[in-house]
Amino acid sequence: MKNSMIHKLFTLLILALFASSANAQVKKGSVLIKNGTVLTITNGTLENTDVLVKDGKIDRIGKNLKAPKGAEEVDATGLFVMPGIIDAHSHIAGTSINEGTSQVTSEVSMEDVVDPLDVSIYRALAGGVTSIHLMHGSANVIGGQNETLKLRWGTTNPDDLRFEGAPRTIKFALGENPTRGGRSRGIQPQSRMGVEAMLRNTFNDALKYRDAWNKYRADKSSRKVAPEYSLRLETMVDILEGEVLVHCHSYRADEIYMLMKVFADFGIERLTFQHANEAYKVAPELAEFGASASVFADWWAYKLEVYYSTAYNAAILTKNGVNTSINSDSGELIRHLFHEAAKTQKYGDLSDNEALALITLNPAKQLGINDRVGSIEKGKDADIAIFDKHPLSIYAVPQMTFVDGVKYFDINNDAADQRIYIDPESTIQDVQIFDAHDHHLCMEGANVVNFYDLLNKQ
Amino acid sequence: MKILRKSFFRLLFILPLLGLATLANAQSDPTGESAATRTYAITNATIIQAPGKMMEEGTIVITDGLITAVGKNVSIPNNAEVIDGTDMFVYPGFIDGMANTGADRPENLERPDNLFTPDPPNDYAGITPEHHVVQQIKTNENSIGAMRKVGFTVSHTVPYGRMLPGSGALILLRDVDHPDKMILSEDVSMFTQFVGAPGAYPGNTLGIMAKFRDLYRNAAYSKQHSELYASNPAGIERPTRDRVSEAFYPVVAKKKPIFYDASNSLEARRAMRLQNELGFSLVLGNLQEGWDLADEIKESGAKVFMSLDLPKEPKDSKDEDKSEETKNLEERRMEFYKKYVAQYSELKSAGIKFGFSTIDTRGSDVKDNLLTIIENGLSEDDALAALTTNAADLLGISSITGTLDEGKLGNVMVTNAPYFEKDSQIKFVFVDGDKHEYEIKEKKKKSENTSETTTEGTSSIVGTWNYSFSTPQGEQTGTMVIKKDGDFFTGVLTSDDGTPDNDMLNISFVDGALDFEFSIDAGGQSIDVVVNGTVTGNEYEAEASVPAFNVSFPLLATKEVPEK
Repeated sequence: MKNSMIHKLFTLLILALFASSANAQVKKGSVLIKNGTVLTITNGTLENTDVLVKDGKIDRIGKNLKAPKGAEEVDATGLFVMPGIIDAHSHIAGTSINEGTSQVTSEVSMEDVVDPLDVSIYRALAGGVTSIHLMHGSANVIGGQNETLKLRWGTTNPDDLRFEGAPRTIKFALGENPTRGGRSRGIQPQSRMGVEAMLRNTFNDALKYRDAWNKYRADKSSRKVAPEYSLRLETMVDILEGEVLVHCHSYRADEIYMLMKVFADFGIERLTFQHANEAYKVAPELAEFGASASVFADWWAYKLEVYYSTAYNAAILTKNGVNTSINSDSGELIRHLFHEAAKTQKYGDLSDNEALALITLNPAKQLGINDRVGSIEKGKDADIAIFDKHPLSIYAVPQMTFVDGVKYFDINNDAADQRIYIDPESTIQDVQIFDAHDHHLCMEGANVVNFYDLLNKQ
Repeated sequence: MKILRKSFFRLLFILPLLGLATLANAQSDPTGESAATRTYAITNATIIQAPGKMMEEGTIVITDGLITAVGKNVSIPNNAEVIDGTDMFVYPGFIDGMANTGADRPENLERPDNLFTPDPPNDYAGITPEHHVVQQIKTNENSIGAMRKVGFTVSHTVPYGRMLPGSGALILLRDVDHPDKMILSEDVSMFTQFVGAPGAYPGNTLGIMAKFRDLYRNAAYSKQHSELYASNPAGIERPTRDRVSEAFYPVVAKKKPIFYDASNSLEARRAMRLQNELGFSLVLGNLQEGWDLADEIKESGAKVFMSLDLPKEPKDSKDEDKSEETKNLEERRMEFYKKYVAQYSELKSAGIKFGFSTIDTRGSDVKDNLLTIIENGLSEDDALAALTTNAADLLGISSITGTLDEGKLGNVMVTNAPYFEKDSQIKFVFVDGDKHEYEIKEKKKKSENTSETTTEGTSSIVGTWNYSFSTPQGEQTGTMVIKKDGDFFTGVLTSDDGTPDNDMLNISFVDGALDFEFSIDAGGQSIDVVVNGTVTGNEYEAEASVPAFNVSFPLLATKEVPEK
């Protein structure tokens, strides 16, 4: 008896050791940011205010604060201090984006393909971004699980980028993208009706799967036989149980409304519509459901289903009480999401705070991380961006970006070559400005490179 | 008495013959190619029995496939073929931790009509762990001789294919008439790699990671079920047989390791992530980027076979006016080259015992790469250990091979100088006690002046050539200037259309066959072009191919003859 107790204790100890070493320790910093204009998001704008960060957390916000021993001091006189920007829709830092071969791939997860070596991470930091939602692509109705990341640049270990404790999320997709895949492969779904049917069928399969496994688990017999295991349906069950938040690629108002009906039928509550260019048409319905929207500032008309939109989308949604964010879906736009947020002041007259919330607190809520980030508040993670002008000014340039109190970007200490791994066989050439017209084809067909073009590349 | 003695002598004479006859399966050999004896003695040689264990003026006897004696005062059997080992060096034969050696790459599967891409047939998906590499092994595969020639005697050979192509086998690199005679042991590993099915599930890393978990967990449940049923079937649903799940049973029971082809650091971490979640025994094979992974590897307990493939050493631009930026970029590129070549000694210092894998390595690069690794810090003994004792340990065959000890397999390599000397050459490789002899090539004396004067002959390629290169879009012309630099050729391709010059790399000119490579840059991506052809007089007729895209085009060149 005693022996087995000791054995158990020992096992626990070993497990604890493993758990701590498996959760790679990420760097936490201490820093005192002095005398800045602090845009808190949740508590207005504080002039000439210090922000004290201890071990990665915001410890105090006030005046005349003293830095603890060894902590860096940043003089933010004349500068603007805001919560790090959060991009709720990104595809940087992933080695694969779509497992598009099947129309339901809830078993796959972006956490398996996080690429800490992607230099786009540093570029995003240089735009004041501290967290991204690395999303699966939109090729399938139920795509893969996404991964919420903190941009801790410089590590080679993908696990160091994980936003530890962030809820799991998953990508769904409606409309042209999944139906195009279906039609090209001759499989379901080939229409918007097929998309809905596929969603309902998959959730019904998940309910049956859950019943089978619940019965198995309740069975006390030592001779019980497990039902077939399916990682795909396991994830669907987790969605039904509210453990996985759904982020759905969508454009048209009718399909947005459709998905809310499907989710109401299956009792799923946490839902964010991505892109959602026609969301403004169903803004009251979204508000009533409690669904969120993550939209572009002024980008549309790049295909038929997204022909009808407006730059007022974010403002209309906000004024209707829909939790709204502005995302990039791009390795370029991610570098100036503060410009994108500012557009809602031109189109819709949002207040500074409302506009900044679109790229901070609101996306944090959509990702279920608003208890940790999204505003400058005591106790929150010290994910902070510092700008030289008000970030909603067209003249604003990001100066420094901190994650967990660690400075990962500083415009005054910005090494030219940020690559982490370098291919020794790569060629070094002078930078050339390519004529887009001549080289469009070559770049587009990256997997069917034309030999002749390669040799005649002047 | 006299008669008795006479017959006794006769018997003595006949006995060895009987022995030989039984060995040869009592068949006569009309070709006369089979060895007269399978007993060999290498005498008066320097014998490296194991890394760090050297004996001078020693003798080693190999009899019927086994090492039967090693030492200074060894009696040599009467029927032995005696090889004078004076000035020779004898090593244990090398062991390859993961390779395709001996396996014949199967034709790519045709895409089936009406393929249901979410759930393709297993063979198209590449999920056939129940297959065995033995089915792919061909006795006449070129790779067998190519790897034996550079010292390898045993290969852990894994099958070609996609995600889970089948189990690996340990094979002896013998020259025999049936694959069975090469097999040391079958079904020793489950091989897996990050290779998706074209346009079907699992198509890439995302699907492969998920599918692996799904297969493994289903196999674990199915194993429980079938064991329960086997112990007492009454009242239990009959388990449906599933060959994929069944192939996983020994993996789930940790009786068979998973060999993961994990060439880059992210793949290696993914393999360790699966191992951490599922708990199988993991071997990381073909690891090329391990310098940041020592801690993780130690923590995971994974075994490691490092790749013997190395990147080419970068060549800095000779332009004297190059910018600071270019200099910095070149410096960082060199810094990373050093990481690749120095990681072996770093991992060794970190306490990781590794062997080598040649799955991505050409036989002809093995020696050069080993020397580069040694130049960058790994000791010769440690390199030899990785090639022999470590590999044997990691593969669980150290009781039968890996060292030159009595009773071990006759896997022996003989060189004309210490192996790790640049100019050493391999004279013999014994595999399973069979002798394979190689010609020692005389080093050509440097005679640049004389070769310059004999350019009229067909022996030299030095000079300026005008080439034309046909692509579907038209003809490319330019000059190709080849020079001799010591023992090596160097060359530059200059296109008439003004695109940047390309260095000719790995130029080899043997018996009229001129081969070289060059790289072209396509928007930051380097693409290798391989040129193989023959020189007749002043004409060069070749084919330039781009392995990455599986295309090739004809290239013709004519050498300029200087007018007198």
